[in-house]
Amino acid sequence: MLLRLEAVSKRFGQDWVFRDLSLSLKRGEVVALLGPNGSGKTTLLRLMAGLLKPTRGRVVRQGRALFLPNPPAFHRRLTAREHLLFDLGFHGVAGDWEAALTRFALPPDLPLAAFSSGMKKRLALARLLLLRPDLWLLDEPETALDQEGRKLLLEVLEEARRDAGVVLATHDRALAEAVADRAVGLGAA
Amino acid sequence: MRRVWLLALRDLRLEVRDRAGVLSVLAFFGVMLFVMALALGPEEAPLRRAAPGVLWVALAFMSTLLATRAFALEVEENTLDDLLLTPGGKEWVYLGKLLFQLLLLLPLSALALLLSAGLFYLPLARAPALLLTLALGVLGYASVATFYAGLLARLRGREVLLPLLLFSLVVPVVLASVRATVGLAEGLPLEEVAPWWQLLLVFDLVYITASALLFPLVLEG
Repeated sequence: MLLRLEAVSKRFGQDWVFRDLSLSLKRGEVVALLGPNGSGKTTLLRLMAGLLKPTRGRVVRQGRALFLPNPPAFHRRLTAREHLLFDLGFHGVAGDWEAALTRFALPPDLPLAAFSSGMKKRLALARLLLLRPDLWLLDEPETALDQEGRKLLLEVLEEARRDAGVVLATHDRALAEAVADRAVGLGAA
Repeated sequence: MRRVWLLALRDLRLEVRDRAGVLSVLAFFGVMLFVMALALGPEEAPLRRAAPGVLWVALAFMSTLLATRAFALEVEENTLDDLLLTPGGKEWVYLGKLLFQLLLLLPLSALALLLSAGLFYLPLARAPALLLTLALGVLGYASVATFYAGLLARLRGREVLLPLLLFSLVVPVVLASVRATVGLAEGLPLEEVAPWWQLLLVFDLVYITASALLFPLVLEG
């Protein structure tokens, strides 16, 4: 089991985002989180990553988790090459960053300030593919991607599920149906 | 250690490309030294007497500004989460941010020493001993400043809170640094200055160890 949520609840101030949520994820599984804006999808992903603590309940995680926020977070004064080299070194992972940038059609030496939203999303996917986490936590990964980018996303998700588990929050039901083994609906707590 | 260097060098690269942080530190530092020199001069005696105090006030403010800057780099771009999800201990983040500041502060301290010598008649005959004092003092100050800057990184009003929290804890470091600098400026024998260095060394070790151990806890959401 890569991830297990045991009756997890989260509250900000007096407002409950969700209550008593239980969920488990195995290697090779893709779970989609569906729900309207404000239903707690991003909060849940951050809890799963360990970036937030639950108000009640327990999150049990095995292996390395990485979280892809929406929009992806990058230093705009670094280039794609510099970003990937730093990430590979900092995570202690070996990977072919040049091949990744070629595959995702990204210029290696352009500062990220000049990247479009879609290019940043592609770079974020390339980064995840290189870092190979055990648990992929993706917040609206389809946003800002064009047709080609969406095709790459589907490929990346297929590759990810070979040896990892994926949780993705999305508003795109078609994407969820195409890639997810099951869906979890979030609504008002 | 590789992670510490990678993070420090990446931050240094970001800072060099942005320039806003270093330029604001240099502007503050230059204005402060010139205003103090104009206010206390032109006679040599009051300038020389004030030199250690002016030098350390400038260094303390420079360190505080750079500590805020070290985490502002991550908060502005929303990249702090990425660092926190790196496998292993979070103390690497603290040590990397500390090293980043030291890579900027140590050359700036040497520059401050030269300017203080020029404007405040601070004698440079014992430059190696003065540089040792600067290095020990800056290390102690920056170690606490980095810790609190990380603690406050995601809070609004962090620029106000940081000096309030920081200055109470770094009093021993500032005191020992100023006394050692005064002793060297007045020509005291090194044996009389050495106890201040020993005190600084102890505080540096305690602050760095405690901050590195506590840092993962302050970053938890």
